[in-house]
Amino acid sequence: MGRFGWRALLRNRTALTGTVITSFVLLAIVIGAELMPYSATDMDFINILAPPSLEHPFGTDSFGRDVLTRVLFGGRISFLVSGAGIALGGTIGVTTGLLAAWYGGASDTVLMRIVDLLFAFPSFVLALFLMVVLGFGVPNVMIAIALVYFPLFARLTRNTALLVKEEPYVQAARLMGQPTRRILFLEILPNIGAPILVQASVGVAFGVVIEAGLSFLGLGVQPPTPSLGVIMADGREYFQRSPWVLTLSGLFISIALLGLNLLGDGIRDLTDPRLRERLAT
Amino acid sequence: MTGTGRYIAWRVASMLVTVFIGAAAVFFAMKAAPGDPALSVLGESATPEAVAEFRSRHNLDAPLPLQFWTWLAAALQGDFGLSLTVAGGRRISDLILQRLPNTVFIGLFAVAMAVLVSLTAGTIAALRRGQLADTLATTLAVVGISMPDFWLSYILVFTLALGLGLFPSFGFTSPLDSFSGALYSGFLPAAAVAAPMAAVFSRTLRAALLDQLHREHVFAARSFGFHPLAIFVHGVFRNALIPYVTVIGLQIRYILGGVVVIERIFGIPGLGSLMVDAAFARDYPVVQACAIVFLVIVLSVNLAVDLVCTSLDPRRSR
Repeated sequence: MGRFGWRALLRNRTALTGTVITSFVLLAIVIGAELMPYSATDMDFINILAPPSLEHPFGTDSFGRDVLTRVLFGGRISFLVSGAGIALGGTIGVTTGLLAAWYGGASDTVLMRIVDLLFAFPSFVLALFLMVVLGFGVPNVMIAIALVYFPLFARLTRNTALLVKEEPYVQAARLMGQPTRRILFLEILPNIGAPILVQASVGVAFGVVIEAGLSFLGLGVQPPTPSLGVIMADGREYFQRSPWVLTLSGLFISIALLGLNLLGDGIRDLTDPRLRERLAT
Repeated sequence: MTGTGRYIAWRVASMLVTVFIGAAAVFFAMKAAPGDPALSVLGESATPEAVAEFRSRHNLDAPLPLQFWTWLAAALQGDFGLSLTVAGGRRISDLILQRLPNTVFIGLFAVAMAVLVSLTAGTIAALRRGQLADTLATTLAVVGISMPDFWLSYILVFTLALGLGLFPSFGFTSPLDSFSGALYSGFLPAAAVAAPMAAVFSRTLRAALLDQLHREHVFAARSFGFHPLAIFVHGVFRNALIPYVTVIGLQIRYILGGVVVIERIFGIPGLGSLMVDAAFARDYPVVQACAIVFLVIVLSVNLAVDLVCTSLDPRRSR
């Protein structure tokens, strides 16, 4: 963030929109969920499949549960699973990418072949396969997201680190006898941080989609725990009778993804030097 | 052998190595999966004799490496063994052969749609940069990637199938039975998969075209007085196609991933819905076979994309 600062972030229209939407979504799922007067799991059989109203802005589902409350708590779980998965995948990917770029040779080759192999499975097929191997449920969805996304971080980090590795300041740090770990994480990493940040932002969006897709099919987060995918799968059951459950939870997911994607795009615009040059001319 | 020939041979060989390693990884990961397949098929109350008989019939008693070699040797001849639960006792290779055409059809249909839309939208956006058409195309592209395919498919079903009655909301005619029927019943599923891809492709094409438009060779061609259309086609578009085709190749794994979800929603009997059903039924041999078939498809597409890029830019093979 340091290179362009928060002020630049606010001046770029894409980045600003992305920041506003993402903050709004995060506020809603972190604080808003707590303010809701309903429970996400308690049933109310008097108010079954009630259409949207002032009391229930998103209506209620087939168990009489307030859909907005469920979407907010579900969004919290989806974002937690995705965020934790991307954080885990990012940590593994960035570390291995840095090591591969620094040491090169056989370790680089082996690592990149593993990355190539993971890249050769359709993303959702890999996630599905991992769910079968690991078993369904929240922690395993997180691990699946991490494993599906870590190759992206590893490849990106390696390729950008290879460029930075030859820079004078890295060579200087090396000659000064700084330990490798310090050079990797304090000299190289901050200078390749921007594309990794972009990837992380887009990655959280991607993780939410993977979680929702798995749970939608019934292979991810298991009910009654709400997640965006679980709620949409519920909504599918009575889609024709009360379309608002699926429609409004789908809209929420789209808005959240839009925010993250715009944020990623904005950061990319601001930090890609080639783009910046082109915009300036 | 010519340079290109050697390049192709090398690429095919490295693909075969990847398939082998991938198959091994899938096989051994599957062995680590929780649950005993014998008990999941025969039930928890199965007699020890029945379990022993099952294990010897499915070659589960041998040491793991030996099991792998036996399985691989059979798989190389197109025999993936028998389904355990999802289609009890049927040959997995038959199941796959029967369902593969549907998946390939939906995948190709989706790619064709996404290419058609993105060629138009991306080109217009690049040529009208900064104008309304560009803003519109760029905005639509961001919205497009923010629509998960399973959610988009419900919007399409709700508006075009249930609302306007233009397309069926469920079910699929195999392209082997009726090609036009497959186009008709496959339109909505393919569109749901294609929409986010069209967004990604248009963005790539727009960026690639913009990158080329201001290069020196284009400037030179313009100063020679060549026709603008000729400059665009030969000097800009051809070069922009390389990143464009590369991205299509990279996105194949997301397209096939989308197809897996969509097949289930629209009731298309394809490889993806087979894999999902098998995942539910804990039919490990079927899940395993599906994963490997998908792996082979992606690697073949990547190989084809590489060869196309090499023919567009012969410097690559050197």
